Amino acid sequence: MKFDLSILAKHIPFLLEGAWLTLQACTLAVLGSLVLGLAIGAMRTSASPLLNRLAAVYIDIFRNIPFIVQLFFFYFGLPEIGIYIDAFTTGVVALSIAGGAFTSDVIRSGILAIDPGVIEAAQVSGLRKITIFRKIILPIALRASVRPLGSVFINLILTSSILSTITLNELTGSAKIVASNTFRPFEVYFVLLVAYAALTYSVSILIGMLHRYLNRHQEEGAV
Amino acid sequence: MISITGLRKSFGAATVLNGIDLEIRQGEVVSVLGSSGSGKSTLIRCINGLEKIDAGKITVDGFDVSKPRELSEARKRSGTVFQLFNLYPHMTAVQNVALAPIEVLKLPRMQAEAEARELLHSVGLTERADAYPSQLSGGQRQRVGICRALAMKPSYLLLDEVTSALDPEMTSEVLSILAALAKTGTTMVFVTHEIEFARSISSRIAFLDKGQLIADLPTEEFFSATGMALPRVAQFLSKMRKD
Ligand SMILES: Nc1ncnc2c1ncn2[C@@H]1O[C@H](COP(=O)(O)OP(=O)(O)OP(=O)(O)O)[C@@H](O)[C@H]1O
Ligand SMILES: [Mg+2]
Repeated sequence: MKFDLSILAKHIPFLLEGAWLTLQACTLAVLGSLVLGLAIGAMRTSASPLLNRLAAVYIDIFRNIPFIVQLFFFYFGLPEIGIYIDAFTTGVVALSIAGGAFTSDVIRSGILAIDPGVIEAAQVSGLRKITIFRKIILPIALRASVRPLGSVFINLILTSSILSTITLNELTGSAKIVASNTFRPFEVYFVLLVAYAALTYSVSILIGMLHRYLNRHQEEGAV
Repeated sequence: MISITGLRKSFGAATVLNGIDLEIRQGEVVSVLGSSGSGKSTLIRCINGLEKIDAGKITVDGFDVSKPRELSEARKRSGTVFQLFNLYPHMTAVQNVALAPIEVLKLPRMQAEAEARELLHSVGLTERADAYPSQLSGGQRQRVGICRALAMKPSYLLLDEVTSALDPEMTSEVLSILAALAKTGTTMVFVTHEIEFARSISSRIAFLDKGQLIADLPTEEFFSATGMALPRVAQFLSKMRKD
């Protein structure tokens, strides 16, 4: 059997639909995990022992359970107790929750790395706690976290392929269907491989640009 | 007035401030001298509420810094300049200076930034107003630090070794700004190792030794026989002059 991509031509629209679904799910999950990560990361560095503990437990749980198990629990487990959520929403929520455990850890280190003197300067100038968090802590921590957040997001994109196991025909799901319809798994999965590589590679380029942009003032050699 | 009575502060078993009484009235420049580890920085950090005090009382214009509700009022009345500048690294000089006026005094951004530019202009940083801290020299950074404290129009300026991270040239550019401030009647609590400069701008000298205030004298008295009569002061001054 020879390698022939042309036989996939008529399946391209179907694959693109899958790719579009992957893109949507990942974009939402990146945002979701960022928001969750900020909240949990802030809790993890807060002075309140209760919030701190809760955040630590969250991070521990979701980082130490295989994603597919979390996903099955949400999708196949919850209906047993009367909670029904569609596959797409379940997928996005599960990815956000699992991603949030990792982003919160990145954001926590970003916060801990801030020079305490800078925060003290903000305190003595009379800024309220919430203002210090919004105007000082968050922007500094996020700037330092762009690259490590990028790796978390790329992992999230790769993990999104697991959503195909809950009937969601995103990129991997549609590829599986095409492969079994055409009996050409080699070509199909070759295309899939290239597609994921292209996707994650573009994300990493974007992340690099964002990092350079946000940290532009630190790179122009300090005097 | 900043009023400190019976101030005690320990870190674990180590007593760092052991019963301090000190008053700083409007218009005074009080230099705090003392050897390394005598508790000067801790004293400043107690006044601006960065350290919890163990006993005694500190008030700034009557507001008790140990009471969370009054602390914010006390903080509005004093500005702090730090040894290592502690500028906000992600903000330009103007943004550093204008932040507290916008957020605390609720000034409109335009007005706060205009005032910030004026302050920066007054310390010779007209051209560098839109630079980030990483693009400034140490002396320039500290001038921004001074503007940031002044922007809140504080009644009191607390300065903790604000030139000790600077080389001699930068030190003199910062000191000349402080001298000008002292002339215009800005009240200052000035922790320093620059003895001669302290002598030239201060109305009073407070001398800390192992957490106790062993001298609180008008400047010329401190540097005269009265001060020299205190063995610790004499020892300190002779050591500082040798260095
Ligand atoms: N956060 C802290 N935890 C424990 N000990 C501390 C802390 N801050 C200060 N100390 C101790 O308190 C003592 C006084 O420190 P402080 O920084 O006030 O001295 P200083 O007079 O400012 O000295 P220097 O001239 O070196 O700046 C020192 O022995 C120091 O080690
Ligand atoms: Mg000190």
